[in-house]
Amino acid sequence: MHHICAMKSKLLICLLSFNLFCASITAQTDTLTSIGEEIVVTATKTERKLSNVAVPVTIISQKNIQQAGSLRIRDILQEQTGIFLTSGFGTGVQMQGLGADYTLILIDGEPLVGRTAGVLDLNRITVGNIKKIEIVKGPSSSLYGSEALAGVINIITEKPKENKFTAGVRYGTYNTLDANVNTTFHVGKLAVNAFINNYNTDGYSIRPFSVERAANPIWKFTNNINLSYPFSEKTKLAIAIRNTYEDIRNEIAVTNNGAVVYSKGKEVNKDININPVLTHQFNAKLKNTLRLYATEYQSTQNLLSTGAGSYSDFLNHRFLRIENQTDINLNANTATTIGAGFTEEGVRSNRYDNTGNRKTNTIAYAFGQLEYNALKNISIITGLRYDYNQLFASAFSPKLAVAYTVKPTLKFTASYGRGFKAPDFRQLYLNFTNIAAGGYSVYGTIEAQKIINQLNSLGQIGSLESDFYRISTLEPEVSNGLNIGMQWQPGSKWQVKINAFRNDVKNLIDSRLVAYKTNGSQIFSYLNVRNAYTQGFDADVNYKLGNNLLLSTGYQFLLTADKEQLREIKEGKIFTKDANGFSRKMDRSEYIGLPNRSKHMANFKLSYEHPAKKVFANIRCIYRSKWAVSDKDGNGLYNTNDEFATGFTQVNISAGKSFSNGIRLQLGIDNIGNYIDVNSLPNLPGRQYYLSFNYSISKNKTVKK
Amino acid sequence: MKKVLVVLSVVSVMIACKKTNDTTTTPVATSKTVSDIIADTIIGYTAQGQPFGANKYTFYSLERNEVVASTDSATNRWDIGFRGTTIITNSGNSGPGNGGGFVFIGTYDALKAVPADSTFRTDIAPTAYAITSGSNRGWYVYNGQTNLVTPIPGRVLVFRTATGKYAKVEILNYYKGGVTPAVTATDDEKTKKQRYYTFRFTYQADGSKNF
Repeated sequence: MHHICAMKSKLLICLLSFNLFCASITAQTDTLTSIGEEIVVTATKTERKLSNVAVPVTIISQKNIQQAGSLRIRDILQEQTGIFLTSGFGTGVQMQGLGADYTLILIDGEPLVGRTAGVLDLNRITVGNIKKIEIVKGPSSSLYGSEALAGVINIITEKPKENKFTAGVRYGTYNTLDANVNTTFHVGKLAVNAFINNYNTDGYSIRPFSVERAANPIWKFTNNINLSYPFSEKTKLAIAIRNTYEDIRNEIAVTNNGAVVYSKGKEVNKDININPVLTHQFNAKLKNTLRLYATEYQSTQNLLSTGAGSYSDFLNHRFLRIENQTDINLNANTATTIGAGFTEEGVRSNRYDNTGNRKTNTIAYAFGQLEYNALKNISIITGLRYDYNQLFASAFSPKLAVAYTVKPTLKFTASYGRGFKAPDFRQLYLNFTNIAAGGYSVYGTIEAQKIINQLNSLGQIGSLESDFYRISTLEPEVSNGLNIGMQWQPGSKWQVKINAFRNDVKNLIDSRLVAYKTNGSQIFSYLNVRNAYTQGFDADVNYKLGNNLLLSTGYQFLLTADKEQLREIKEGKIFTKDANGFSRKMDRSEYIGLPNRSKHMANFKLSYEHPAKKVFANIRCIYRSKWAVSDKDGNGLYNTNDEFATGFTQVNISAGKSFSNGIRLQLGIDNIGNYIDVNSLPNLPGRQYYLSFNYSISKNKTVKK
Repeated sequence: MKKVLVVLSVVSVMIACKKTNDTTTTPVATSKTVSDIIADTIIGYTAQGQPFGANKYTFYSLERNEVVASTDSATNRWDIGFRGTTIITNSGNSGPGNGGGFVFIGTYDALKAVPADSTFRTDIAPTAYAITSGSNRGWYVYNGQTNLVTPIPGRVLVFRTATGKYAKVEILNYYKGGVTPAVTATDDEKTKKQRYYTFRFTYQADGSKNF
């Protein structure tokens, strides 16, 4: 496997250098298509050509998703440049080096809720009815408010257009069976798209001789109905109703100091989203959009353990929002967007003081955006959003983006944005004691002082740490992000995208030890303590090799650091050990930065497509360099002396053929090299084979106007 | 023979001391490494899976560089004691001696003398030991994810012995053979190999605070 990896990377380097060589000799022709004819909505909250957007955007098309043989959203995201999927509390997304908490996940522009420890599990979302995925990197809080700090992933579902019927089934390793039915029809003026997905898997265990599964046996059901009703040519109502149900059978083996405790049980997660959107186009210059959104996520887990009794967990998160947005095209060169909204959300959990007691928060916000084509070649986008928050400090989120189009094939962009993430309910209200693991407790900031003072009066507190006195109202975590990019098409066969980024994040919330109980148990709470930065660049190069072959490569270089740790290193307060175990001063050059981040990530994709023969095939390699997993030398930060997970390459292949009778067959192998890392990559299963069968008929029925 | 040499070198340095331009580099006192000092190793698991030891300290004399029988626990024959991650000094309510200690932040070699402004703490068991107990408070850090105990680099334990002499100690390892089990080792292995101290120390026999 390592040989294959080495060969692959060599091949990649060869191809890259060959490409660069080619680039320098390819003659410029006049038959270029301009960059980015695709439409993107996430970057400005209005439909814009990709070429008119001044922030880094990646669009993943339905075709890409299908040809990659993806089932869940995580499958396709893991193949994108600069995105790494994290494990722990589900599969999260790491973007521009920032953790899963800091990327906003939207479905049709509205947020999904129900994060566990800040992570929104990407396995929750099927790709079966996704039209495209838009990824905006860098802070977008000026439009979306909290959580849009590292970026936004907007999953756009299929809207009812022409009548069609599609059914597909895919079967693969681990008895993974995925079945979709997707249909669009019209009832008078009402257009309906209905989608059903059923996903079953036995899960897998990559740890030998273990009953515990890295992924549990799961049954997931998704049902999505998109309705569209035009009241008139100018007024349209769209309603999206999405409903998911997950049944996860848990079989957990926890080794507690040598004794294995087996637990069996069931986890049920339900997610409902309802999203009516009323749009009215007053005239060519004025459009109004009124959005209502209601969602509820509920997770219940019940476990029965051998000898140790039962364990149950409950979370219910409700989110309601009303938002109005007005788009005004003042003149050919100026467009504005103004909007305001109101959000109410609440969480009930057994990890708070009382399951029946819903903790709530309300947010009122307003935002504005101005797009201005200053000169023929320069466009400027400015935006500002203000969030008034009931529970914590308000947030101002400005944004400024500039695009300079040198010529149709060359564009430079620069953007600055401020992103924030409001403290979540867990950080405010958690009231959790883990009896199994040494009896430590974690209290949210609103609860912490109250509870600890109570315990103190009962004589149960041994000592209060200095951080106890620092517990106060949590502030939002704030980031200042800078992105500078270039898009270049140096010939009809080439497309080059480069973006350099820097995110300065402050007020990061971290759990800190605040007190000891008299029995020695630790008590933690949350504090705004850390400042960090992430910086680097990513690059995507696409090259058309002849008519049927497309070569695409992507790369991200990343550096991160905790600023406090940097200061301590500079002051000579950080030490490490030599081979004898003797301490010595640690040098700045040994510092790695934040854990679980790879300095280098790359992907390499070769796709073949022959439209006339209706066949396609592709090979996709995803590489990630080593990353720090644990602080081996005990100095409280990550340096070259610590424990790293080995870098790896995952290779996926897929091929398919369509027939004129509407049948499409596809087969593929994911993780061909069977790369497994039991400890550091529990969410990467071994080699998987699959075969899928699709049938579709469509009728080009144009909607009568 | 070795002891004689040490004494001789100590004496020679004492004679030579106070000379600022002295070229001799002979150390004042030598550093010794001690391995696998048992500190109440695990003898079993409770029904709930909690490991337990015999709940007994291992007493150590820095002066004589040897383990002291527990029957001598009420004497001045020992200077420090080990039980799990807890290190006691022959002071306060731990023993009758004139001991004490504190944690110095820096490297072992950088600590050439006990700083003038140091305060030696004494034991108030079980809440406030001279060497503060608990993860990331005294000499070690416990990583809940890997279930491993690691001495914090750059921590030197400075002790006053039972008889009022001074010594510095650097804990090098907490596991059998001086080798921390791999992160991937089983919890059982990690549990059974723990509570074996490897440390190096320098004992200043002349009563001065110089190392």
